[in-house]
Amino acid sequence: MSAVKFVDHGYADPDPAISAGSGPFRHYELDAAFHDELFHEDGTPRARARRLGAALSRIPPEDLERLQDGVYRRFVHEGITFTVLGVEDVSEQIIPIDCVPRLITAEEWDHIERGLKQRLTALNLFLRDVYHGGKSLRDGIVPADLVLGCPQYRIEMRGMKVPHDVYVAVCGTDIVRAGDTFAVLEDNLRVPSGVSYMLACRTAMKWAFPYLYRAYGVREVADYPERLYSTIASLSLTGEAPRMAVLTPGRYNSAYYEHAFLAGEMGVDLVEGRDLVVHDATLYARTAAGLRRIDVLYRRIDDDFLDPVAFREDSVLGAAGLFHAYRAGNLVLANAPGTGVADDKALYAYVPRLIRYFLDEEPILANVETHLCREPEGLAYTLDNLEELVVKEVGGSGGYGMLVGPHATKAERKAFAEHLRSDPANYISQPVLPLSRAGCFVDGRLEPRHVDLRPFVLQGREEQHVVPGGLCRVALRKGSLVVNSSQGGGCKDLWILRE
Amino acid sequence: MLARMAANFYWLGRYAERTENTARLLEYQLTRLVDTDADELALGWRVVYRALSQSPPQAPADVDEAEAFLIADAYTLTGGLVEDTTNPASMISCWGMARENAREIRPRLPLPVWVCLNQGFLWLQETEFADAWGEGPGALVSQAIDRLRLLAGVVDANMARDDAWRFLELGRYVERLQQQVLLLDMWDRIARPDGDGLVLSWADLLRVCGAFEPYRRDRSLTLRRGSVLGFLMRNPEVSRSVRYATDRIGSALRGIDPAGGRPPLAPPHRMVLRMAAALELDPGGGEPSPDGAPAEVFESLTRDSRTLHGLIQASYVDYPVTAGLPS
Repeated sequence: MSAVKFVDHGYADPDPAISAGSGPFRHYELDAAFHDELFHEDGTPRARARRLGAALSRIPPEDLERLQDGVYRRFVHEGITFTVLGVEDVSEQIIPIDCVPRLITAEEWDHIERGLKQRLTALNLFLRDVYHGGKSLRDGIVPADLVLGCPQYRIEMRGMKVPHDVYVAVCGTDIVRAGDTFAVLEDNLRVPSGVSYMLACRTAMKWAFPYLYRAYGVREVADYPERLYSTIASLSLTGEAPRMAVLTPGRYNSAYYEHAFLAGEMGVDLVEGRDLVVHDATLYARTAAGLRRIDVLYRRIDDDFLDPVAFREDSVLGAAGLFHAYRAGNLVLANAPGTGVADDKALYAYVPRLIRYFLDEEPILANVETHLCREPEGLAYTLDNLEELVVKEVGGSGGYGMLVGPHATKAERKAFAEHLRSDPANYISQPVLPLSRAGCFVDGRLEPRHVDLRPFVLQGREEQHVVPGGLCRVALRKGSLVVNSSQGGGCKDLWILRE
Repeated sequence: MLARMAANFYWLGRYAERTENTARLLEYQLTRLVDTDADELALGWRVVYRALSQSPPQAPADVDEAEAFLIADAYTLTGGLVEDTTNPASMISCWGMARENAREIRPRLPLPVWVCLNQGFLWLQETEFADAWGEGPGALVSQAIDRLRLLAGVVDANMARDDAWRFLELGRYVERLQQQVLLLDMWDRIARPDGDGLVLSWADLLRVCGAFEPYRRDRSLTLRRGSVLGFLMRNPEVSRSVRYATDRIGSALRGIDPAGGRPPLAPPHRMVLRMAAALELDPGGGEPSPDGAPAEVFESLTRDSRTLHGLIQASYVDYPVTAGLPS
């Protein structure tokens, strides 16, 4: 690879002459059906994009190729990978990264930030209510059977005092932009992942576009590990300097890099179940110098696997007695067990109601239109409009277990309809979202691609913090709306502008 | 530090050392391809393979080991030790295992160390062995040695001298101890230069161990078996002497477990002291007698070093839970 020369291509000098469909953007085709974040419908650049567009137009394509390649190699050499379990082997893959940053203005971000804080506050109150009397269920805000029948509802948490009533300390909320508005697509309240890619993308972009980054005045995200540590530590019941660890399923887990990265950045141990021992309702880690107590565990494994005594008895990923230590008040878990009941895709439809009920406020961020197949009218609507809808399993993730109606064959839709009829409560449907498009550098060309966004919210004992950035996923295949890395998606850096 | 991570650092040290040892022996043998006759080359391969605990190449039943190495070609013999992923002792396998251990300890491993180790592994994995051979038989191995030395330097420059470092050192020198004893044993047993017939020189043994110049300065240009073996066994300043390895193991153990170094001695400390004493009190004194066979000494050291490995595991990694509870 040739060395990349850092040349200031006049980044500080916005050039209004650029336009979609001409010059370096000659392959950039606008589509009126989708909001484009770089250009207006008439092809002129949006105000926020003038500087970026000017910079991209001034960098020779071969330099952009080298930058893209340089970023890719950084990821390879630093081992910024996700693990893919195949039938016969395990492989490490690099998450594709696009070298063109996505831009969000300060005004837009302020709206998102307020909405996210409001949403997480309501969800934490809801979780406390679910496990302490269920007033919201009795009041009919959410159907009780939806909650009590949810596989993620943990009866073991009923009546249990969670430290400082913070059930969800780390939240990753998927947000999409359709037109000029942002909407929440999904809440991830169990073990949201992707924050390490956000940080890796940022480091790479600072390396690739140092002058542009400086000229734009981008809000910083590098303090995330420090904030994560102080957030989780604030939940401790033992004082100022709790002994903390990150619990990982191990290196075969797809997010292992992230677990190792966060533990390293926070300066805490990365433990696996085999490192842990519970004695006298206290959790210990096996160190080379004997057993050492753990006060706070940032767990990155699902509830089911935390403790073979309390949950799945065949689990070898957790530690026997861990939940007992938690119940005894000798251990803090972040996030608390049982939070999955609030990020179920069916429960999602009720979040605006929960916000009104618990906070007496109107939701700042809207939901995407959602039809619950558990309700007869929702099922009928879904079956009647299968060609135009996306149907998802309520407990599914990663783009699996879903049907994208417009892209499915008649036979696939027919087979899926059978699943719907036989187990309607397991599905919801939503319209195909016209995800906004951002500029990307793909195969040597600047072209638009669909994007979404996962910002991360931290809820400590007293403070809430929304990271000014997030994991921006991009559907790198032309025309595709699927952003999942397991299905051809990649990521790009998200720049939240100060002004 | 976590016991599992201590074990990972220990094994990272062992696998990195093992890779480097294989590369060094191969470099020695491959440089001889140019001007050494076939019989002597075969003898060299035999020593290298035995010193690496490798089985001889497959040959018809009526062919003995010495002849099997005569029949086999250098390309195949080298490939088996470099690129053969089915051979757990090949360089690519050992480098890969070092990397897998490093992945487990990434939160404790400085990024430059990981990047250097990872880049080296990816380089070896992506290198076409046949193409590299075309550039010269020893080219690939020489580059590998350069990368391993770079790794050692990056480790030295970036790691704090804490328990992680000590366990890495422990693994490195337990491995070196075992490999070095085996090499001396095989050289003395198979290729004894003072014996009849084909021989490998004592000077070559010193060069393989990076000890030729120190020996020349410390002793003389006259190379005798007892003097060379004694030097490589007991010299405290040569980094590939057995004594040097036991000293470093003792030093790492004293850092990891200071209390274990005082009476009552912890089992690993006791074993290292016993090995050090055996080296000092070897009846051969400074130099084994010319005709004496130090095979018993080598066997004893091999046995003790294996026991030491087991004691380290049992004391710091796999100890019973009840023994680890805070008092």
